[in-house]
Amino acid sequence: MKITRLALSLVLFTTLSAGLRAQDVQARLDRRVSPEVQRAVRSIAADAAAQGLPVDPLVQKAIEGAAKGVPNDRVIAAVRALAGRLGEAKEAVRAGGVAAPNAEVVEGGADALNAGISARQVSDLVRVSRPPQDPALTLRVAATLSALGVPAQQAIELVQETISAGRSQSDLLALPGEVQAGLARGATPAQAAAGLARAAGGTPPGRLPDWVPPGQRKPKSPHKP
Amino acid sequence: MTMGYDPLVKRLLDGELSLAELPPELRTEGEEALRLVGAADRAPVALSPALEQRVMAAVRRHAASPGNRAWRWLNTPRDVELRLRVRPWTVWASALAAAAALALLLGRPASGPGRGNEARGGARDSVLVRFVLYAPGARRVAVAGTFNQWDRTAALLVPAGTSGVWTTTLALPVGQHQYAFVVDGSRWVVDPAAPAVDDGFGRRNSVVAVTTHGGQL
Repeated sequence: MKITRLALSLVLFTTLSAGLRAQDVQARLDRRVSPEVQRAVRSIAADAAAQGLPVDPLVQKAIEGAAKGVPNDRVIAAVRALAGRLGEAKEAVRAGGVAAPNAEVVEGGADALNAGISARQVSDLVRVSRPPQDPALTLRVAATLSALGVPAQQAIELVQETISAGRSQSDLLALPGEVQAGLARGATPAQAAAGLARAAGGTPPGRLPDWVPPGQRKPKSPHKP
Repeated sequence: MTMGYDPLVKRLLDGELSLAELPPELRTEGEEALRLVGAADRAPVALSPALEQRVMAAVRRHAASPGNRAWRWLNTPRDVELRLRVRPWTVWASALAAAAALALLLGRPASGPGRGNEARGGARDSVLVRFVLYAPGARRVAVAGTFNQWDRTAALLVPAGTSGVWTTTLALPVGQHQYAFVVDGSRWVVDPAAPAVDDGFGRRNSVVAVTTHGGQL
């Protein structure tokens, strides 16, 4: 009897939350996209929610397409493609060892896939992102490096080497900025990333090669000027 | 009346000297001065009898004005006895209801800059991010992205002088955001200073990632 009551409550809760989610999607799309796109996105979002995927990126993509004046059919196609990418990202994250990934990690995975990183590489990155590293952050750093033009494999290796070297999250976050600084100096994305990878083994990204941690600096020789 | 008394006579009038202390040639002047001042001091002040009537009439009018009566009624302290007959459980129930209402009121999350961010849940810290675009000749520049529902009018940049540089600073919630500049209301331009990704429509979006660690990709 108790189990029946519990099951009924669960069904009621699921139905209510799905209804609320659908209302939220509808409210956000209303007056922003055409009725045709609204219908299609509601359906795609409902399917995505049923699979435990985040719905927000789908709504955002539809709104973005309408704002940019993209034809309806192309907006719907882009939203559908994004839903597929979110599903692929979720599977890749789970393959990396996270049984129940949250929305942030799934979105990070989808961004990485969109930036040209493969599903296998997403899994690899999640696998090395053990606490205190945040897999969502790792995926986004890799995606940003890739978006900057660093070849995907090289971006993955750079992130992995930075994590293996025991660098902090701040050091990880600094990687794209360092690549951009390298580009500003005239290096190619691959060259800039290679320089950082060399430094990752010895000094934190962004520091000079003769950098040593504070408190470990050798005293200057009194015989040298 | 003597207008210019000798300084010693003035000191006499101020009480600093006595008449006996004045030189003999000044004593007559000193006596005259004391007489005049003493007469002035003792002269009775005579007011017109009509003045008192006019003053009292004005006071009575002021006291009788409705505003004044209302103020006095509001401001006069009174003894008030309040007797309540309540059941103890209603007092507790009311207190709990008031506490719950207060908790709901204070516990309401602050609304973020975009509905999308509210929908995503979790920590919603914001970080200030500066957007800059060099667009000489542009009449209007805005930045639209996932943080403002791609609204082309929500975040306008302002020209920095006449150099063609447009800029604005926005408080962005933590997370990764895609965006583009909108020049003159219709031309979508990627940020040349930021990484860009395929937008799914055959164009590119710039990317900015704001993290709780204070970093910005």
